[in-house]
Amino acid sequence: MAQATVKRRRVRAARAQLPGGPYLLLVPALVALALVSLYPLYYGIRASVTHYLYGRDFGSAGLENYRRVYHDPYFHQAMWTTGKYVLVVVTCETVLGLGLALLVSREIRFASPIRVGLILPMTIAPVVVGVMWRLMYDSGIGVTDPLFQAFGFKAPEVLASNTSAFIGVCIVDIWEWTPLIFLIVLAGLQSLPQEPLEAARVDGAGRVRLFFDHTLPLLAPVLLVAIVLRTIDAIGTFDQIYVLTGGGPGVSTQLISIYAYNTAFLFSQYGLAAAMLISLLAMVMLLMIAAVRLMKRVAV
Amino acid sequence: MRARLPRIGLYATLIAVLVIAAFPFWWMLDESLKQPVDIFSGVTLYPHHPTLTNYSQLFNSYHFGAYLENSILIVTMTVAISLVLGTLAAYSLARFNLRFGLNQSSLVVALLVRMIPGILLVIPLYLMLAKWGLLNTRIGLVIIYTGINTSFVIWMMQSFLAEIPRDIEEAAMVDGDSRLSALRRVVLPLAAPGLAATAIFSVIATYNDFLIALSLTSTPAAQTVPVGVSTLIGKIQIQIGPMAAAGVIGALPIVIFALIVQRHFVRGLTLGAVK
Repeated sequence: MAQATVKRRRVRAARAQLPGGPYLLLVPALVALALVSLYPLYYGIRASVTHYLYGRDFGSAGLENYRRVYHDPYFHQAMWTTGKYVLVVVTCETVLGLGLALLVSREIRFASPIRVGLILPMTIAPVVVGVMWRLMYDSGIGVTDPLFQAFGFKAPEVLASNTSAFIGVCIVDIWEWTPLIFLIVLAGLQSLPQEPLEAARVDGAGRVRLFFDHTLPLLAPVLLVAIVLRTIDAIGTFDQIYVLTGGGPGVSTQLISIYAYNTAFLFSQYGLAAAMLISLLAMVMLLMIAAVRLMKRVAV
Repeated sequence: MRARLPRIGLYATLIAVLVIAAFPFWWMLDESLKQPVDIFSGVTLYPHHPTLTNYSQLFNSYHFGAYLENSILIVTMTVAISLVLGTLAAYSLARFNLRFGLNQSSLVVALLVRMIPGILLVIPLYLMLAKWGLLNTRIGLVIIYTGINTSFVIWMMQSFLAEIPRDIEEAAMVDGDSRLSALRRVVLPLAAPGLAATAIFSVIATYNDFLIALSLTSTPAAQTVPVGVSTLIGKIQIQIGPMAAAGVIGALPIVIFALIVQRHFVRGLTLGAVK
């Protein structure tokens, strides 16, 4: 009897804590989040209007860093290269990922091991992927040159010339990240309502008609999420390029992240690099807002 | 018979894609087990005179023991801390109506952390850690990774916890549990698949990170495996064997991990987008 009272009192005590309780649970995590988002953002904006010399803080620079960045031909070049890169890889990954998901979503044998095999590339560290492909592209020991020669073509020496290096790094990205789009689209396909598709099939719609008139519109929201996710990640691509080409030959594969990294850590121009990245963030934000708008419209 | 032919085409396509996805791994493993003389004698499908010299060289002269130790310690600590912090926060967001629009804005900030390109964070983080004297320390990396991972954990666990009916924990509380013990004894076991998926995503994201570790560390005292792999790059012309071996070591922990947790793996990889 006495024990029961104690228990009940404890329940009441636990309830009584609730007004402050939920906030106490949330605060440590929010501090951790702020530490890697809001604080660096503030710090980055401040660094972008600071004058650095040999890595030392030499006081306010006003908008000088931004002015220099906008007149820097290498910055323009890097933005252009990044845009091209994102467009090429996201387009290819979407088409391939969608195609693969459509193949695998049909009833096939060994679906589970096939799925694990297909997503292997995206689980491995991008640096390791970079090392792997750098060795495969190598003209002394690699795979690509003998492969081309076996079919009677000239050995391409992929990473040695501007165009082929750019195509080469794109292929690596496509190899690594098509699985992400594949996975998301596959999940989307499996959760599609079956009735409208059945009905259309009964009405005698062919496979192609069925896909474009029924499956694709139903799939659009999921596909869009996958594309937005991939686009944002692709804009920040760094690891594989750093390992594969370091931005070269020349500046042919110098994405904005590589250029900003070099500006900050090779030349200790933190202010300039911060100004580049804040500008980039503004653009990514605009892109995200547009994407959210678009998603809302498609979802309706 | 007419249905048969497309079937064959389907499997042929799938096998071709599987070969493209898996061949590079096999080839790298093959190279890593070759003796230096054999590496230049052309592409083979398996090592004719297998040897582990490349691997022993990595551990003896390239600090790979230290890199592995750092990676394992940092990943374990990061995932443990961020799972606790993030799950408590997610529970709070999933169960209570908080003031100041915290329910919505916390999730938006969590998503923002996921969306900001790493390169944007690295320069301010470098300046911050330099100020605190935490550059090139394991603890510095753990702090940064914990912040980043907590965002994933909040984002994923919030949706998993919201699916669990309130009645269950309220029944436990009537039976004398406090909020936290009801969470631990009743809610978390029900959310175990979600927790597993979240942990998997965190382990992979933390172990694979390169840019942050590269910028914030400078010696094997704190450098992780991916950074260790990249230190061999300058020597590519003469050190192909060790480089391939380094790639295998960089990939191996995740492949083994993937095989162990296979069941929850797919869900974990897509940040909960796939359930």
